[in-house]
Order: sequence, then structure tokens, then C-alpha cells
Amino acid sequence: MKFVCLNCETYMSFEKVEKPAEGSLGVFFGCPSCGAKFSMVTNPGETQMVSSLGVKLGGRTEAAEPFEMTRETLKDEALAGSGQMAAYLNEKIHGGQPVAATGAPGSGKEGEKSGGGCPFSAMVAEMGLTTGGKAASGITGASEFTWSVDAKEKLDRLPAFVKPMVQSSVEAYARKQGYKTITLQVMDDSKNDSSSGLTWSREAEQRLENIPDFIRPMARKEIERIAKERGVATITAQVMDEAKDKFMKLM
Amino acid sequence: MAPEKDLKEILGKLQYSDDAKVIQQITEQMKQVQARMTGIRYKLVVMSGKGGVGKSMTTVNLALALARLGNKVGVLDVDLNGPCVPRMLGMHGLSLTMTSQGATPPFGPLGVKVASMDFFLSAASPVRWKGPMDLSPVWLGVMEMNVIREFLADTAWGELDYLLADLPPGAAADKPPVIAGFIPDLAGAIVVTTPSEVASDVVQKSVTYARDMGIKVLGMVENMSQYRCPACGVESELFEGNTDALCEALNIPLLGRIPFDRTLARTFDKGEPLLDPAYPTIKRYQEIAERVVALVDYRKVLAQKL
Repeated sequence: MKFVCLNCETYMSFEKVEKPAEGSLGVFFGCPSCGAKFSMVTNPGETQMVSSLGVKLGGRTEAAEPFEMTRETLKDEALAGSGQMAAYLNEKIHGGQPVAATGAPGSGKEGEKSGGGCPFSAMVAEMGLTTGGKAASGITGASEFTWSVDAKEKLDRLPAFVKPMVQSSVEAYARKQGYKTITLQVMDDSKNDSSSGLTWSREAEQRLENIPDFIRPMARKEIERIAKERGVATITAQVMDEAKDKFMKLM
Repeated sequence: MAPEKDLKEILGKLQYSDDAKVIQQITEQMKQVQARMTGIRYKLVVMSGKGGVGKSMTTVNLALALARLGNKVGVLDVDLNGPCVPRMLGMHGLSLTMTSQGATPPFGPLGVKVASMDFFLSAASPVRWKGPMDLSPVWLGVMEMNVIREFLADTAWGELDYLLADLPPGAAADKPPVIAGFIPDLAGAIVVTTPSEVASDVVQKSVTYARDMGIKVLGMVENMSQYRCPACGVESELFEGNTDALCEALNIPLLGRIPFDRTLARTFDKGEPLLDPAYPTIKRYQEIAERVVALVDYRKVLAQKL
């Protein structure tokens, strides 16, 4: 924030900060040309904004203490920020009505409370036993493709929340390949289709199988990244060799 | 009365300077976060779109499992309003030690270091801030993000192999992905879900959003996969979801399944965590931790097995 002395057409200089009242800052400025001075006084909300940034107006003369802002701003029982200005803001914003209690934010996560009985029972009760895993029947939305009976059955076995994502992914693959009918084979092939537009040779796919399954998705992405860097469209055994060499050098 | 002046014209002639040094201080704050994190080898976040799926339980047990593997581990409890990591690890009532070098976190079981908002609160006190927070949630949001920034910038972790940040719940344009964005050189995110359709639906969104933010999602942990009756030992399904299908659709690995284990949960509730490495559920956490170790160093695996 800057102030301009309109008489001298120059920025006023920041001089000092004082704390005239709880929840308020007095920031002093002076014109370097004509010497005019004035002080800007903040209300508790404006003071809070400055405090929340963890900065000191005018810069620091000493390094910040660890957790300075947290410790200074954590409320003890005294109601800081109260007083005339807070009352004024309350009047303006809430018409003087008491602000509704916001609950106890520190009361802990649901389901991780201590106490007797099953600690997760409240959470389980809240969530309820869902019909998860039981998908709605039928293809989601109007499809431009014909789904074979077995492919449709496989899709229908998926949970409802996953089905649209899988259907969309398989159909995108089918569209790219120019297929009109989606079979089980198309579904399987779509899993190996890279969103990066790269093709994997059978040998490269087999070598990827040597990697533990939980690392394979990451390995696939990393190798595709290397292939893209090299400007190749198909990931072959040679690309795999180059990738392996690269990883060996990083060890 | 002074004649009207054209402010735009006046400003065009003037050179702006940051007298109040606000921008300079904010830049320095972010540099301090960067500097503080340099001693930490792998920084991970544990997140979920859904609340109540057991993020904190997963975080502390993975931290303990990584410590059992001989690693130096820290846990940052970023859930400001519901901090529960200290309580679960029997550290409630401890505090950070303030020094000129920063805030030194206390040690918990197996040497795990912990920083948490809980250390600033007295028993049963919720987090309450000075100022007119009740007038606008906007002020509260700015305040909370800056408190998290202080946790990252001021906690003197020293040398760590792993720092696990237990993020609060939230799916999209909310705190978790933004907090993760605060952490420099983040190794990745571990996502926790339950096999419930409700949880999976929200978790799916949080994974998508995290990826949009450029956060690498390492894998998924399915919590409460089953319920083991403490009386008869029979295992029953708690939910009827399909986490395998979710992982396949999102193309991320399922790192493991953890049953709802009342015996284990109660020890953490009491702040006397069960640490026996031979205990079946702890073994499962151990397997997940070993997978996480492989995932953060996946280039090594690729060099050996490709």
C-alpha cells in the first residue's frame, strides 16, 4: 500500500507503525517533499489480514521467532480484537446480532475419537453400508458404439462410480482405432493404450512385466516420458535399453 | 481547495518501492520453507478426499513401519483443527522446543519426530484465533494457510529419511492439494480410502485434482477393508465397494488393505500404541511401507529389473 502527496506529486514515505488500540494498527507516512504527515488506522479485520500474512509492516529488524505468528495469534481466553472497532464491524456486518457459534473446530475427526466401544462406529453409521460395487445397469448415456454382450457385462460389473470413467476411456480408444464395436479384446487393448499417443511393442510390454505390479504404472509413465524426449512413436526393446541405462546412471 | 489532479498521470512519473517490505518478507518466508526441507530425503503427504477414512491412523502406522526399517522419520500433523497424531502416539501434552534455530519437535515411539497444532493447545481446547474470525471465513483461511507455512518453515526436523504429512480432508480446490504444493520436492501422495462407494467417489476426485496440481500419486491404501471381531475372530465385510476397480480406473497401485482392527485402534486411542512387529495388522502396514520405499526409489527398481 502506498500513499501519494497530491500537492507534491510524490509517494509518501513509510515511517513507523504503532499499536494505538487492541486489534488496530497506526501506520505513519510522511511526504519527503513538503513534510506533511498522516497516519492510517486499521480496523481489526485489516489488522488481521496483515497479521495473517506473517509480515511486519516496514520490514523486520530482528529475525522472526519460530512459530511467531501462530503463537501470537492463538487466542487465549481473553477476547482480543474486541472493543469499539470490533463492535462497529459486528454492527455493520451482522446488524449487532450475536454471531452464530461455529461449532468446536478442534473436536477431532469423526471416527477417530477416543472412548469406549468401536471408535469408528459413528463414522460407519454416518456413511452407512452402501450398495457400492453394484453398478447401475446399462451403458451410461447414448453411445456411438455397439458393445458386445460380454463387453457390456464386464462394464456392468464395475461399480457405478468407476463405470463412466472406464466407458469413456474405452470408447476414446475405440474411436482412435476406428472401431465401431467394442469387444472384450478392445477393452483389454484399451488398458495398454497410452494417453500419450505412444505404442508399446509386445517385447517392451513383456519387459515391463518384470517390474513389480505396484511400480508398473509409474514405470510406464517414466518410460513414455523418455520415449517422448527421444521423439520416438513406438516403445521398443531399444527404448527400454536406453531407459535402463539412464536409470543405472542415476544410481 | 487544491485543483483536481490526474492520479494516473502522477503515478506514471513515480518509481514504486516496497517501503512496507511485504513482498520481500513473503518471498523470504518461502525461501525459509525451502531451506528447512533440504535435510529431508523423501517428503510424502497422506491424503484423502473423504474425512474419517483413517488418514491419521495410516500416517502414524506407516511412520512407525518406516522407522522399523531403520529410517529417521518425522510426522507433520497438518490437520490444524483436529490434530490427533500426538494423542495416538502418546505424545499429548508434549511441546515443540523453541530455539533460535527453530522449533525442535519431540520424539515419539521408535524415535519418530512429531510436529502438531496439538502441542500449542491445552487439554480439550479447540483452535481459536485472535481477531474477528467469526465475521468472515476469508480471514480464517488466510490465517490457517500461514500457520501451515510456519509449521513447514519453522520446524527444525534435522536430517530425516521420510517426512509424512497427515493432511486434513478435502477433495478439490481446498487445502490439501494447496498444502501439498507448499512442500518443495514432494516425493508423492499416498491416498487413503475405505471400500465404500461414498468414499471412493470423493477420493477419485481428490486424486484427479492432485494430479492436476502436478502431485505424483504413489498409490492407494484401503483402510477398514474388513472388520475382525475381537470376540470370535471372524472377519466380515464392512462395506461392499471395489477399491481394485477404482485403482485400475485411476491407474494407480493398491498398496495394501488394512482391516478395521479394534484392538489396534483402541491402543492408539489410549495413546499407548501397539508396536509389536509380529502383530498381523502391523505386518500389513509394514508391507505397505516396504512398497512405499520401493516406489519413492522406483528408478532403482527400474535399473535393476527392466
